[in-house]
Amino acid sequence: MSQVTFAVLMIAALLWPLALVLREPLMVALVEHGETRFPLDTLWATAPLPALALALLGPDGSLSLSAWLLGGVWVLDDPRRVLLAFSALLWLLSGWYARGYLAGERDRANAGNGASATRLSRFAVLWPLTLSGNLLLLVAEDIASFYLGFAVMTFAAFGLVIHSGTRVALTGGRAYLIMAVFGEGLILGGLLWGAGSLGALTLGEFREGLATAPHGAWIGLLLWLGFGVKAGVAGLHLWLPLAHPVAPTPASAVLSGAMVKAGVVGWVATLPLGEASAEAAFIGLGRAMLLAGLVGAFGAALLGVCQRHPKAVLAYSSVSQLGMLAALVGTGLVAPGLWPALAPAVVLFAAHHGLTKGVLFLGVGIGEHPPRLPAWVLALLLTLPALSLAGVLGSGLATKWAFKAALYEGGHSALVTWLSLAAVGTTLLMARTLWCQWQGERQARRDGLVPLGAPMPLAWLLLMVSALTLPLWLPVLGMRPEPPPAAELAGLWWPALLGVLLALPGGWLIRYRLRRLAKRRPPPGDLWWPLASGLSRLWVATWPWLERLAVMKAAWVAWWVGLERSGTAALQALGGGERWLRRHTAVLMMVVAVGLALVLLFSAA
Amino acid sequence: MSASFFPVATLATSLAAAAIIFLLPEGAVRARTGLNLGAAVLKIGLVAWMVRGLSQGQAYAVEFPVLEGLAFVLRADALGIMFAGLSSLLWLFTTIYAIGYLEDSPNRRRFFGFFSLCVASTLGISLAGNLFTFLIFYELLTLSTYPLVAHRGTPKALAAATLYLRFTLTAGLVLMIGMVALHTLAGDIRFGQREILAEFGPEQRGVLIAIFWVLIAGFGVKAALVPLHGWLPRAMVAPAPVSALLHAVAVVKAGAFGIVRLVYDVYGAEFSQALGLLTGLAVIASVTILYASLRALAQVELKPRLAFSTVSQVSYVVLGVGLFGPLGTIAALSHLLHQGLMKITLFFCAGNYAEELGIHRIDELDGAGRRMPLTSLAFSVGALGMIGVPPLVGFLSKWYLGTGAVQAGMPWVIAVLVVSSLLNAAYFLPILYRLWFCPGPDHGVGTWPEERHLGRFETSSWLLLPMLATALFSVMAGLLAGMPFSPLEWATRVANLEYLP
Repeated sequence: MSQVTFAVLMIAALLWPLALVLREPLMVALVEHGETRFPLDTLWATAPLPALALALLGPDGSLSLSAWLLGGVWVLDDPRRVLLAFSALLWLLSGWYARGYLAGERDRANAGNGASATRLSRFAVLWPLTLSGNLLLLVAEDIASFYLGFAVMTFAAFGLVIHSGTRVALTGGRAYLIMAVFGEGLILGGLLWGAGSLGALTLGEFREGLATAPHGAWIGLLLWLGFGVKAGVAGLHLWLPLAHPVAPTPASAVLSGAMVKAGVVGWVATLPLGEASAEAAFIGLGRAMLLAGLVGAFGAALLGVCQRHPKAVLAYSSVSQLGMLAALVGTGLVAPGLWPALAPAVVLFAAHHGLTKGVLFLGVGIGEHPPRLPAWVLALLLTLPALSLAGVLGSGLATKWAFKAALYEGGHSALVTWLSLAAVGTTLLMARTLWCQWQGERQARRDGLVPLGAPMPLAWLLLMVSALTLPLWLPVLGMRPEPPPAAELAGLWWPALLGVLLALPGGWLIRYRLRRLAKRRPPPGDLWWPLASGLSRLWVATWPWLERLAVMKAAWVAWWVGLERSGTAALQALGGGERWLRRHTAVLMMVVAVGLALVLLFSAA
Repeated sequence: MSASFFPVATLATSLAAAAIIFLLPEGAVRARTGLNLGAAVLKIGLVAWMVRGLSQGQAYAVEFPVLEGLAFVLRADALGIMFAGLSSLLWLFTTIYAIGYLEDSPNRRRFFGFFSLCVASTLGISLAGNLFTFLIFYELLTLSTYPLVAHRGTPKALAAATLYLRFTLTAGLVLMIGMVALHTLAGDIRFGQREILAEFGPEQRGVLIAIFWVLIAGFGVKAALVPLHGWLPRAMVAPAPVSALLHAVAVVKAGAFGIVRLVYDVYGAEFSQALGLLTGLAVIASVTILYASLRALAQVELKPRLAFSTVSQVSYVVLGVGLFGPLGTIAALSHLLHQGLMKITLFFCAGNYAEELGIHRIDELDGAGRRMPLTSLAFSVGALGMIGVPPLVGFLSKWYLGTGAVQAGMPWVIAVLVVSSLLNAAYFLPILYRLWFCPGPDHGVGTWPEERHLGRFETSSWLLLPMLATALFSVMAGLLAGMPFSPLEWATRVANLEYLP
């Protein structure tokens, strides 16, 4: 019986968003032209509900479909349950938020603006489509389904990023798509190489086999970098700060909260973490991951505090947090024995960061359209998730303790220090975000207030509550994070305190003393701009060479054509000779005959 | 009776249809349409019956001697019937499409007559039981396609058709020389008698290798291997159903199928590998794949871009042949079908854009997704399949090629596949972006080049339905690849016959 429940819930979770995808074009076709309609209605917002039900009610189990692709296996186990639950919750509340966020678009569409109606309709299709990809990759155990989910999510999210259609949005979308396709290529290469060497069709076989496969570390490298595009590994993170600020706020929330986690899920699913038999080369790979993760964690903090747009700051904060996650995953490769203790901490980190970053992004929109709350209450509410991300309270505190405890037990106290220093950076980023938001909020407050029960504030508050109380409701999903003992609190709080102490004088200095420096801030997307201009210069430089090649090819073809023409001319000359013969053969024959006769005559004589 | 009846009847269906169409007057539209569709459906039925029989272990063959030691052989084996199934299924869709496409245009009798003849020869190619029979139908295919390419009669069409004829006739000559050489050496080799060549001693190997490359050069023209591909992008001037036929159903496929037959059924995969021929094939295929993708990137018109994409994609089949081992074989055989499904969809779409809106250039496609949503959806399916995005069939081909490459000990092929995927993405994604995201005439920006309202839906149903059917097939063949009689499953069955004694 429970198996049937499981299968029904699983299929419903994956199919319901797709059904809602199909609903929108049907509605467009069926509803009378000119009738007012909001594509993001209540039914539309229920897309992630079956997935949430699966995470909360579904028993552990697996569903095998032999006819599906190369043989489908969809599994629900404890880590997947947590990931599925937080992703579905984030998608659900962000979707509800979108109903308020895009209300202005609805009004414009109803007033007869065709472009708005198209955008809204497209959003209504692509949102559940992206969701279905995200859900599939979380439950997939066979490689083909996993790659399918990953690809659907990646490509469908492009439409969400460029929603507004402005020039900046298109640049952000282009950066997103180019890097995503590049990452897909690397992933495809790694998966094919690995699956070919191992004959594996499921992620479990793949992970186990990779530990001892020939060239395993190279395959691991491809997968690390391929998934690293999504997970914002330093150097491959360029799309995050370009795409996040331009996407609609709810899309930024799911992009940064749920979708970038797909990269981490990809690492955990494919790399031989915690396999004691893994080749020595994997330790090198783990070190590289660790190092790149820490570089990302610090570098992104430095670049992030220079940003002006709160969403760009938050995007850099995501890069920084993902760098910390990557460092933890890398530790799992360097010290396989530590992974069993570290794995739950990584899942908790993913869930905590997903929900909290979601709240922070949604909070940007709240700052732009403040609800009917006293200013100080709003300020407090905006600060709470920032403090949680900095590790001061709520899920942040629990997460920090979880990995700190695991790392201390394994004797990696140096890494703990580095991560704590990175948390100082997080605090600075949060301070910067709040500052940027506060600037905007003061302006927005004069423009009017939104009722508290409207979709935007409601979704934001619900998500904040669920993010902060994550350690309290996680036991429902079978995961029990330990609360930090009181003696350790000082050790967990000092980075945030240090961050605040640094932020106050730093902010003052930049605002009042170093204005000139502030003008030379790096643009969002840092390396993207020099890379893009370098590539276009390279293109301009190679263009003459390509043209020269084309000229050479044309000359070659012309040579052949000339050869053919002279051949034809020779044949025609032959024809001319024949014509002459035709006309003069009789005479020739006469001459020959006369000649022969003369020869006979004279020889006889 | 049934053993010889079915192959002959299948072939006779199209031949008889061709003959009757030539006899019917130009104005007999209904009779011609009915005959075309009836023959197509009947042929699918016959092929399906043979598929069923084959899977139950029955044999279908007919042969008679032509000369001493040379026989005309028609035989339905698993590989041949796979190709026959593809061509008869896609022929039905192409016929329906062609009826809609050529509505009210002149010379339809000539067109449909040669069209039937063309498919009859494709069927002959798939059922041929030895190289001699193969060559007869191969040449017949060349000759019957010429009037189709030249159909429009414009100077450009005539020039393209002449070029086509030059390429293919000379290739036919090369092929015949190779075949005669092989015949002198080894006698009449039936497809599947791999032991004949394998028994030759080491002193004959040089000759065998030389003959192999001569035959590959002959097949390579139709299979559009670089540098023998020049005719294919030129042949773009032909009407859309002919392009579909050239690219997906018959001509290019016949070349690739010839290579498959040569390697698996004449030389045998193991013997080819022992002679070191397969690595060469894989290298040629890789060069073709990358070169053609780069050329496709530079095209500004839709059909030439699709043509170069075909050059690239058909070489996946050759690449799969070049990867020794069952996985490479599965990749080659299944891609023979997969590429057909995807490419025919893309050409139908290109034809629909041209007919309904007069669009030929890629930059005219802005916003066409709103005006023609179903066509654009089908185009997106085909394009994403070409890139290799699951769950479409192109992903399965790439999967088997990649894993087959590792199995064959040539992991560098994976790099070729990845680069090719990236290039495919680079030349297809901008089109999809234009279709769905750029504002166009239906959003009030600019006008369509030449808009016609051909039907009640976005265009005429004759044009719309076959395209939707092939798009649906390419989704289903990928999504449900594990089902019995899916292209992948059938390819696996054939590959097992080749590798398991």
